[in-house]
Parts: sequence; C-alpha cells; structure tokens
Amino acid sequence: MIPAQFEYETPSTLSEAIALLGQHPDEAKILAGGHSLIPAMKLRLATPQILVDLGRIKDLSYIREEGGQIRIGAMTTHYQLEASDRLREICPLLPECAAQIGDVQVRNKGTIGGSLAHSDPAADWPAAAIALNAEMVAVSANGERVIKADDFFVDMLTTSLEAGEILREIRINAPSGRFGHAYLKVPQPASGFAVVGVAVNLTRDGSGVCESIGVAITGVASKAYRASGVENAIRGNALDEQTIAAAAGHATDGVSVNGDLYASETYRTHLAEVYTRRAIAAAASRAK
Amino acid sequence: MKTEGTHEIHAARDRVYQALIDPVVLQRCIPGCERLEKTGDNAYSTTLRAGVGSIKGVFTGNVRLEDLQAPAHFRMSVDGKGQPGFLKGSGELDLEERDGATIVSYKGDVQVGGTIASVGQRMIQGAVKMMSAQFFTSIEAEAQTEAHEPPPKHDFFRTALRWFSGWLRRMRRGVAR
Repeated sequence: MIPAQFEYETPSTLSEAIALLGQHPDEAKILAGGHSLIPAMKLRLATPQILVDLGRIKDLSYIREEGGQIRIGAMTTHYQLEASDRLREICPLLPECAAQIGDVQVRNKGTIGGSLAHSDPAADWPAAAIALNAEMVAVSANGERVIKADDFFVDMLTTSLEAGEILREIRINAPSGRFGHAYLKVPQPASGFAVVGVAVNLTRDGSGVCESIGVAITGVASKAYRASGVENAIRGNALDEQTIAAAAGHATDGVSVNGDLYASETYRTHLAEVYTRRAIAAAASRAK
Repeated sequence: MKTEGTHEIHAARDRVYQALIDPVVLQRCIPGCERLEKTGDNAYSTTLRAGVGSIKGVFTGNVRLEDLQAPAHFRMSVDGKGQPGFLKGSGELDLEERDGATIVSYKGDVQVGGTIASVGQRMIQGAVKMMSAQFFTSIEAEAQTEAHEPPPKHDFFRTALRWFSGWLRRMRRGVAR
C-alpha cells in the first residue's frame, strides 16, 4: 500500500508542465485528481518515476460559455460540474453524469480531464463526452490541437493524446431547440464504476420526431463507444415506445462485449439493451 | 478465464506458422517482450513488460510450444510471475487456409492471480483482447515479409495503422467484430 519511490514536480504554469514532460518523456506521468493513478501506484500497478502535478496551475478549473460553446477546464472536479446550476439549465447531461461518479470523496477530488485522459473502460465521462460530441483541446510544445471525442478514445486506458500533450479544455456545443438528456447507469456496488452506463443527447421537433441523437455506452467494451446502430434507428423517426425498443436492440452491434466476475458477457449485453431503452425514453420525455 | 478468438491474416499459412513458432519473430511481435531465450526444445524463458496505459508490470516466465503439427496446429503454454501477480495458461492454435488468407483460431484458459486479479479483474479480458490484436497484427506484417527482406518494425503507430487498415478491410466486407 506504499507506492514505489517517485519524484514530485509542481509546475505553476502549463508551459512548465509541458517542459517537464518534454524532459522526461518516458518517466513522467501527469497527476490530476489522482483518484485512479494514486490507487494504482499504491498497489504498484503503476510505477511512474516522476509525477507532474497540475494542481498548482491556475486557471485550469472553470466552466465558461463562449461563442455558443460550453468550455470546461480539465482540472474542474466532478463536484463542480455536479453543482453547477447553469449547467443544469443548459447542458443537464453533465451534472447528471457527474452526480453518479464514485462517491463524495472521488467527486470532490477527481477531475473531468483526468478521467477522460485515463480512459478507463468503465468511466462515466467518456460516454457523456461522446454523446455530446465534445472536443478535447490538447496542448504541447507544438501548440494546441483539437480532438473530437470520437477520435479521442482509442482503446482501454489509451487515448489519442501523444506523449508530451496535456488535455487542457473540453468544449461542448450548447444544446439548443427541444433537447433532452439522460445518463443512466448500473454501478458496480463496490467500486461505483459503470457495469453499464448509457448517455443520451437528443433533439426532437414539434411533432415528436427525433432530429438528432447521440448515444454512447461505457462499461461494456474496452472503451466507451458511440452506439451508431441505435442512433441510426432513431434519427428521423418518432420517439415512441416501439421505435425506442427496436433501436435499443442495436446497443452492442459490432462490439466485443467484456465479461468479468460481476457481469458475464450475456448479462452485460442484456443490461446495455435495457439501459439504452430507458435512457432514450427518459431523454425523449425531457425534450420539450 | 477462458479466452478464444480468430484472426484473419493475409499471408500464406506456411509463412504464418513459421512466424508463430519462430522465437526471433515472437520476441518482436509479443507486446512488451524484452527477452526470449531458448532453454530447451521448443522451450523458452522470457521477460515481458506487459500492461496497458499507465498500468504496467514486469513478468518473468516460461513459454513452451507443444504438439507441433506444421502447418496446422500447435499448443502454447505460458507461466509467469511478477510484482503485480502471476499468470498461467495454455491455448490451442489452429491455422486454416481460406481464400489465400490464413485464419488463426485460438482457444485457451488463462489463470491470473495476485494484485492484478483482485483489483483489475474487470479489465483483464479487455487487456487480453487488446494485446492479442496487437500480436496478430504484428505477426501478419512478419508473415507478409519475404525471408530476404529486413523484418518489419512494430512501434505503436505502425501497429495502430496496420490494425486500422485491417479494420477498414473487415468493415468493407461487412464482417466487423
């Protein structure tokens, strides 16, 4: 329960942090909220030689509106997102998702940027990010780069962030029109991680037909993924019970479903379908 | 934990078989393999730096190839231990020719214990799938290389690129899985 020895660096600006990563490309690891990395280090499953703590860098923790976009600093904690009244109004998927992460301690310290960059296959934020078509802003010595959520999650614990890049900001186009959101989850009772988590972001027209929809599922495969089959079966159709139920049957299309001691492949596949149906129905009923 | 899967490799079956039992090729293709030394007939000792993302561990262990029936079948057994835990497993590999390509099917049983099993259980299956996909992508590149050519490189981006082009190929044929 005591981590292996490591150096601890506390840069006060992003450029200092980037320089540290540049000096130690193989040995350095970024510390954000530390609620995945520190437990892994205590078990010595991760043994980085240098920790670069982003905690002292000012202005990485914010929720702003700019040019029709919601911009969230990477070091914004889950609790800050959960407690934002403004977000509840303009993008309720974010606080709804945040409220279901881990427990109070995790939400007080853990950060959205840390969770996204860690890309745990059962983390909640990746599903919300994909459903909302979020963009990740990464900075490195070569400048800034914007990565779409669909391209960001590569595989289990692997993102398209390159060595030397730091996730700085998450950008989301503020939903407009008659939109409805939902994040529904079956938490693992011990860890709180998603056995299955489904994020839905949809808009409907005046007659109840779905105009646009984003559905993303976490906990089921080696990374959170967009359920394109579900989206295609709903988009342009009436949001009625039959359509939703039929669409939910595509929840795990083309996906290699994981099994573990807690939930077998068959059980997870079933849960994914049921929770996709419920999440779409909940989002549809909220879209007014 | 039971593990099974199939990989389609676009190369002749003889070449794929030779690549799969050649220790020099295996060392290049097994993700994180730092050392593979012969200790006897078809027996090797190995050091693996295995893991995904920031979760990594060093394992030392033994690999044995048995029941060799070129070019169609062999059995591989592995046991290893390291700081994060231990693993022990064996699997049957079958190679089949289909439309000029080789279908490799594997079926095995892996036991994982120690820290990694008690806290990482939910990730083990995914990690095994990810590493086996990397392995077979590298093997395909090796088997497509002629004997007189220099061996292919297997850094992360090349492997990712090869994996992606293979995925596109499967998508076009509509058998994505």
